Amino acid sequence: MQLRDFFSEDAIKLDLEAETKDEALRELVGILGLDEKSQGILFKMLKRRENLGSTGIGRRIAIPHCRSLVVNRLRVAFGRKPGGIDFDAIDKKPVQNIFLIVAPPLEVSNQYLPVLGKIAQFGKEQDIPERLAEIQTPEEFLALLEEKGV
Amino acid sequence: MHPQLELLLELQDLKTQRQALATEGLKDVEFEVFDLRPEEALQILDTKIDELAERLDDPVRSRFREVSESVGRAVAPVLNGVCYGCYVAVPTAWSSEVGRNDRVNVCSHCGRFLYYVD
Repeated sequence: MQLRDFFSEDAIKLDLEAETKDEALRELVGILGLDEKSQGILFKMLKRRENLGSTGIGRRIAIPHCRSLVVNRLRVAFGRKPGGIDFDAIDKKPVQNIFLIVAPPLEVSNQYLPVLGKIAQFGKEQDIPERLAEIQTPEEFLALLEEKGV
Repeated sequence: MHPQLELLLELQDLKTQRQALATEGLKDVEFEVFDLRPEEALQILDTKIDELAERLDDPVRSRFREVSESVGRAVAPVLNGVCYGCYVAVPTAWSSEVGRNDRVNVCSHCGRFLYYVD
């Protein structure tokens, strides 16, 4: 299983317009192509997870995630905000790179946890924040995932 | 979408989250990667689940609790005309209907509430 296989170019946004955590979550949910009602439910679920504790893992990376009935397969998205967003992250620094993961309650191949783990592992690599900041296109983002072999 | 169905979806999603947090795997990741304290999180989720359940109409809440106790998951997605709770086909007329999530449907085979996923 490679992370690269789960990302599509249309779910990668390198210049998020969002200025707040809520706006960023809404913007990322918005690029998944769900209907309006489903987007609202998904946003609420992500917020409820954030209310338990921030998914900002430090080093300018956040990984909001949840399972929800409104999606029929595992979906991921990536958003970058060069100026940073206050995400109440563990290290209290603004977040620039946001990986969204959502999955249905039941999956045939149970990919949710492995994907979450791989993204966390990817985010912990020493050079990743700098490398993500240099990316110019979605293709380069996908190439970075491939290069790192996650 | 029917407001009661929307509540049911939120409630089921929260129960799914609660269940995942109470089991190995996600619990460990949440603690190690996100520094989440599972015990505190479970308490918060339980409170929210109770709050949401109170907002269900009486007959819907009764069925939700009854089905939850007997089969675990009380709300099932319908994909390709099949209830993903019991894997039995739902009536074709329901699946093709416009606004099929605008009412509260129940699987005639397993009794779960149905949510049609596009």
